[in-house]
Amino acid sequence: MPVSEQVTQRELRIDRVACSGHGVCASLLPQRVRLDEWGYPILAGPHPSDHDGERAIRWCPARALYWAPTPG
Amino acid sequence: MTDATLPALLESAGLTGRGGAAFATHVKIAAATHAGADLIVNLCDGELGAAKDGWVVTHHLPEVVAGASLVTSRRGRRIRYAAHRGSATASRLAAAGLDVLEVPARYVSSEETALVSLAHGHLARPMTKRDRFVSGGRDSAGHTIEPTVVLNAETVWRVAQIADRGAPWFRSFGTAAEPGPRLVSVSRSRPSGMPPLPASARAREDEHLGHFVPRAERDGGTCRARGESPASARARQNAHLGHFDSPIVLETEAGVPVSELLRRGGIPDDHGAILLNGLGGAFLTATEARGALWCGAGLTAYGTGIGPGVIHALDPRGCPLAWVRDVLAWAGGESAGQCGPCLFGVPALARDWAALVASPTPELLAQVRSRVALLPGRGACRYPDGVAGFAASALRVFEADLVAHRSGRCAGGIPVDRPITSERKAHAGV
Ligand code: SF4
Ligand code: SF4
Repeated sequence: MPVSEQVTQRELRIDRVACSGHGVCASLLPQRVRLDEWGYPILAGPHPSDHDGERAIRWCPARALYWAPTPG
Repeated sequence: MTDATLPALLESAGLTGRGGAAFATHVKIAAATHAGADLIVNLCDGELGAAKDGWVVTHHLPEVVAGASLVTSRRGRRIRYAAHRGSATASRLAAAGLDVLEVPARYVSSEETALVSLAHGHLARPMTKRDRFVSGGRDSAGHTIEPTVVLNAETVWRVAQIADRGAPWFRSFGTAAEPGPRLVSVSRSRPSGMPPLPASARAREDEHLGHFVPRAERDGGTCRARGESPASARARQNAHLGHFDSPIVLETEAGVPVSELLRRGGIPDDHGAILLNGLGGAFLTATEARGALWCGAGLTAYGTGIGPGVIHALDPRGCPLAWVRDVLAWAGGESAGQCGPCLFGVPALARDWAALVASPTPELLAQVRSRVALLPGRGACRYPDGVAGFAASALRVFEADLVAHRSGRCAGGIPVDRPITSERKAHAGV
């Protein structure tokens, strides 16, 4: 198992109820988040680093981003 | 029975949730016992065409109550019975002196976390699962949610049966992978143009079909969102979904042929496509349904399984594409309207599907496919995922109907705008 997978015990998730489609996450995490035509986030691509994830959590205006344990 | 013996008994019986998710019941009950969780018994018959929760209340309510008290063995844990407001199920529960949680008759209102939210005095809307609410947590607005477990009515009834008759009895039904007796609701679309049902049958239909009854009518007032009277909401509903025959509830088990369930449910042999498990399920062609077994292994290839145990036969004389169009139009208003895919994605899919039915161009088909692909995994609950699976399977099963629509033909006589093909363009000299 690659080292990075052992270390990554958590992943960045979006509280879809709280999310108001501001799109800040997509500009801070362009590798991981893109927006649909109405501005709501789509998660795809590599997971962000802890540092980038933390920054997005701090800047999301709806406080909709959070860490969750990776399933499995 | 002690706190530890019930989960062990249910594990050896192999009981899984009968509401659709098929999660191991003993795991849920052990967690609930550990947390001292309150119990909500879900009797909403929330899926399209579901009627078994109502059947359980009518025929086995004392056993459901016994099962609920087994599950909440410690004192001081509240037991509530969730049913659609104004439904016959709700009145039966109230008449039995039970603590009824009245749920608005909207599709997602009976989702597990929506019931937990409602039980806490908030709206009946699904919550983001930041926490496992069986151990308590917080909703998106920061409100405290007390430990709460939700079990389907049939599941609770089975708990009582297993406690009474033992795990070997339970395992003598079904397959090794999906043991136990099960209920299934079987219904069909009535051919269009048939006279409306008599009032007495309509009442029965209302009781069974739960959320098929317009929300406004259930709430006994005008639908504020649409400024509509109950009668016109009813007319819209009928226009949308046609008349549904009352579902028939059967006792059965996993592994039986789907065709046998259809026959026992009184569905004529010349039925159209079969929808399994409603808006969260998938279609089978009539031919596929004739050969399929009703079990996870037999249905996974079609994108569904036993699920909440709902079987619906389409009218062979109607246009299935139009039927799907009407269901999708209805689905657009049944979400909790709080997440992006439901606020915009589902209504956009419904619009594009309607356009596709009227004028099936390759561009519209591609557009519908991309809308479907963007729904899953992007809501607080799995409603958009369910709608996506429903629409994707409709595209597969009704491909021939789409081709027929392209050449201006429709089984149900729907007027189809013939798309301008390149040959016709050449012919017309444009
Ligand atoms: S920044 Fe926050 S509110 Fe904005 S789209 Fe991303 S998750 Fe949603
Ligand atoms: S995904 Fe849709 S139905 Fe589910 S909580 Fe969000 S808005 Fe409501």
